[in-house]
Amino acid sequence: MRVSYKWLKELTGLDWSPDEMGERLTLSGTSCEYIESTARYMDNVVVGQVIELSAIEGADKIKKAVVDDGTERVDVVCGAPNVAAQQKIAFARVGARLVGDFVIKKAKIRGIESFGMICSERELGMSDDHSGIIVLDDDAPVGTPLVEHLDYDDFMLTFELTPNRPDSMSAIGIARDLAALASIKLRRPKFDLTEVATPASDSIKVSIDDPEACPRYAARIIKNVKIAPSPWWVRKRLLACGVRPVSNVVDITNLVMLECGHPLHAFDLDRFGSDEVVVRRAHDREKFSTLDGREHILDEQVLLITNGKSGVAAGGVMGGLNSEVEDDTTDILLEAAYFNPSVIRKSRRKLETVTESSSRFEKGADPNGIEYALNRAAQLMHELCGGKVHAGIVDCYPKRIEPRTIELRPARCNAVLGTNYLTERMKQILTDLELEVSCDDPLVVTVPTFRPDLEREIDLIEEVVRIEGFDSIEDSVTNIGPLFSRTLPEDQFAREARWVLTACGFDEMLDHGLGSSRVAKLFNPDLPQVRILNPVSEELDIMRNSLVPSALAAVSHNLAHRVLDLRLFELGKVYFAGSGDTDWREPDRLALTVSGNTPQGWRETARPFDFYDLTGALRRLVEHFRWPDFDFVPDKVSFLDDEISFRIKSEGRAVGWAGLIAPDQARTLGVKQPVLVAEIDLEGLIDTRKDRIKFEPLAVYPAAPRDLAILVDAAIPAGEIIECVRSAAGELAESVEVFDLYTGKQIERGKKSIALSINYRSRSGSLSTEQVEEIQRGVVAKLEQEFNAEIRDK
Amino acid sequence: MSPLEEVARLRQEALERISTADSLASLKEFRVQYLGRKGRLTAILKGLKDLPVEQRKQVGAEANKCRVQLEQDFDVAERRFSEKSEAPLIDPTLPGTAQRVGAMHLTTQVIEEMCGIFYGMGFEIARGPDIETDYYNFSALNFPPDHPARDMQDTFFVEGDRLLRTHTTPVQIRELEKQKPPIKIITPGKCFRNEAICSRAHVAFHQVDGFLIDKGVTMADLKGCLVAFCKAFFGEGLKLKFRPSYFPFTEPSAEVDIQCFLCGGDGCAVCKRTGWLEILGCGMIDPAVLEMTGHDPEKYTGYAFGIGVERPAMLKYRIDDIRLFYNNDLRFLRQFV
Repeated sequence: MRVSYKWLKELTGLDWSPDEMGERLTLSGTSCEYIESTARYMDNVVVGQVIELSAIEGADKIKKAVVDDGTERVDVVCGAPNVAAQQKIAFARVGARLVGDFVIKKAKIRGIESFGMICSERELGMSDDHSGIIVLDDDAPVGTPLVEHLDYDDFMLTFELTPNRPDSMSAIGIARDLAALASIKLRRPKFDLTEVATPASDSIKVSIDDPEACPRYAARIIKNVKIAPSPWWVRKRLLACGVRPVSNVVDITNLVMLECGHPLHAFDLDRFGSDEVVVRRAHDREKFSTLDGREHILDEQVLLITNGKSGVAAGGVMGGLNSEVEDDTTDILLEAAYFNPSVIRKSRRKLETVTESSSRFEKGADPNGIEYALNRAAQLMHELCGGKVHAGIVDCYPKRIEPRTIELRPARCNAVLGTNYLTERMKQILTDLELEVSCDDPLVVTVPTFRPDLEREIDLIEEVVRIEGFDSIEDSVTNIGPLFSRTLPEDQFAREARWVLTACGFDEMLDHGLGSSRVAKLFNPDLPQVRILNPVSEELDIMRNSLVPSALAAVSHNLAHRVLDLRLFELGKVYFAGSGDTDWREPDRLALTVSGNTPQGWRETARPFDFYDLTGALRRLVEHFRWPDFDFVPDKVSFLDDEISFRIKSEGRAVGWAGLIAPDQARTLGVKQPVLVAEIDLEGLIDTRKDRIKFEPLAVYPAAPRDLAILVDAAIPAGEIIECVRSAAGELAESVEVFDLYTGKQIERGKKSIALSINYRSRSGSLSTEQVEEIQRGVVAKLEQEFNAEIRDK
Repeated sequence: MSPLEEVARLRQEALERISTADSLASLKEFRVQYLGRKGRLTAILKGLKDLPVEQRKQVGAEANKCRVQLEQDFDVAERRFSEKSEAPLIDPTLPGTAQRVGAMHLTTQVIEEMCGIFYGMGFEIARGPDIETDYYNFSALNFPPDHPARDMQDTFFVEGDRLLRTHTTPVQIRELEKQKPPIKIITPGKCFRNEAICSRAHVAFHQVDGFLIDKGVTMADLKGCLVAFCKAFFGEGLKLKFRPSYFPFTEPSAEVDIQCFLCGGDGCAVCKRTGWLEILGCGMIDPAVLEMTGHDPEKYTGYAFGIGVERPAMLKYRIDDIRLFYNNDLRFLRQFV
């Protein structure tokens, strides 16, 4: 919301600078976002006079004007439709900087040299109006700076308001906070209302069908107004608040709303269509056109102001096209009502619009501020439009909304804040905010209805501290609370998994968790999806059910940017809907992804990442967390390649899958090279980690290492061969490792050569060469028997 | 002297000469003496054929071993003298053997840093689901139904009457339902807002929320805690500004600005010339929140705060596009290794 600085000065009598006002308000909860001078585009702009106007040959839209700017006469090309000779105008000299940082320079247009510009309101940053140039009064003194002539040196303070403070949506409301900050009295505008004898109730009756939705509807009748542009002081004030002036009657309703915060609506009484106002819910499918020209099909959510037959306004949101004030309007029905905030919220949603009026009603207007608003506006219509104000307010207010009374215990206030404020000071602050305070302990506080946000003691405590300022609270230096902080097992797990995997060379990726239903269906056609009802785009319309699509997207992104050594991991959630309130699950998952090549270095030869880079990293995790070994069981997973697709099992329980992403799936995300991925479900695994490491005494007796190379059928898994060696050697085989694997030209087709390094050691004594040889012979025999192995080298 | 002894003595003698040689020329001369075509070791090797078969094998092996060793030693020794003219043994400007470790995601690192600071103050971590009910995300946090306060957070709604949490504050309610005061908890995690993705906004972001409930907790304690956190995270000597604000679940509520750590408060592009950066929201837990979860607000008071993760990270590392936190571009991520 924007408010004029001069207006705030007028209402408070304070001589604070705009910056000081903005800062003090910000520090008391009314956040001042910008301060702009209203005259920021008026340097070098003066009152000028059009001396002569002549046509330019071959141009029908632009003319040549000779302008007297008080010091000289210059030629200016002007295209405004309303420019005329002898007019006093706003003249921007060469060098003036106008809206959009447009600097006026000497220019040549259609062969005519132009030395300046005759300005519209938009060019001077006054409004959006660009329909024509500003025409000044005939007695405006030529050469006077425009700011001075218009008395336009004001500032616009733009506030960002919190939704709990409807009272600060007005100049008086903001001035009230300023007055409290300075501990002075607010200077409310004073006026005496001039009424004619005819009662307003002769012209109009008011009834409310739904007093829940509309607790109060009040009206005044003002007749014989003459619609015209508002006087300059009204327009200036509106402009400084960012509101476009229209005509005197409409401007007055806007001005009064900006002043006191209560929205008003002026109907043309002749066009109103009856002599009664009936406030009711709209009928289902009832048609209604708002004054912005849109036609709506309503339902019961919309509160309609009617003339007893049809709608004339969408209550609290926008007036109707049928009863709008126009240039020939003479009689006014002026409405001020109080609507239930949540009704207005639903109504403006239905109408898909937010207006100055709806945003005030939605946050909570003052039901008892209606008299002031109506009287103030009626008096201005009398003064500025020549209207006759008919006697009395026609008021339908079945159940008066009374001010609330709240108690504030001074000790409680200090206990919550950690302060030592004096009761007197609390009392003063609340009184300065125009609350009524009686008694001392507790303070009994009567809250006027313009502060609907003050309902409880804590609300008053907040009032005290926001005016006193948070700086008045001394920071505590004591650390309070429990002495011991536990760590969640899943956090500790994630932390360690990150250490392990980054140490393995994997980079951590992180996805937002939203995914595409289309891609998810392609990857896991059988997995259920959690749909987002109001997605930002089709590509983000579900919560993901697998980490794999995000991983593939990351691969795709990096390949596109020529990052070619990809080893990624993500620790993240996947989402599954439950039935009703139960079974919603968000299991933690781990995904490992590799693609591309290891980096080429001066001593490292690049090689493609492959399946064993995945299992190598997984093995490190298994070792770190002391999990039982993972088994990789060949099994077809929907999005994996037929040949390289495994189910990962831990003690027989499926915990994930690993393999090569099927090339056609990868291509859907634009990836044309092999991508290998493993996805592990961490549920259950985190709990099976073994934290307690049992120390093994160091071996006392020497080891006897033996190497063994065998030739076997290529299909025999290495794991089985190692198992066979272990079972043949018994516990004397301390370790069995594969140190070479060969298939190729040197050996028979369909065979592989596998070289094992076996470390024999006994815990009870040194093994003699003979003993070792004997065990080794047993191993060889077993291998020959089980796998038909051919010994290449002993 | 047997041929074996002869080889041994020859080796001994040659090694001594290599170690005592004082010039390249003498080394070269010695090399010819032992390993040249007419050298002494060459002579032994040549004479092998005249030895009996068993001896031949044994002496041959020894003599060959000796030859290999002497050649190596001569090479090393000669290099010692020819350093000036030839390339040095080591080029330290070559990168060492590649030792690539992966980078933890920047978001992880910032969360870890923040949580570490709070952990040091005695906060414990608690977590909750990303997909929440209206009750935990709004109602229990004192957002009235159909109230403009709900517009402060653009919400994603999910089938099954759920929504994506718009802050991690729901975890506060979940813990208040489970625990008795004193409770001192931080709740790091992902949150979601229905916003168009651009350089300033994303559909997801992270937050570290925290709260303390006990007897006698005051706003002064809240200020003390946050001042300590900001010192630890942003650096010493920066002023904080507490501005009154509004959150349905705290009262009094405040937003906290920190003096811009890039310009020291003088005003720069990052702080938009204001000298201040908005970093977090906080307040005293609203009595209604305590009541709703069965805690007596007359007996207990508490404070709560919520800090974004990406925004302070963007300020700290001068990152100008929030999308970098989610597109997993390794050119970005590896800068934070």
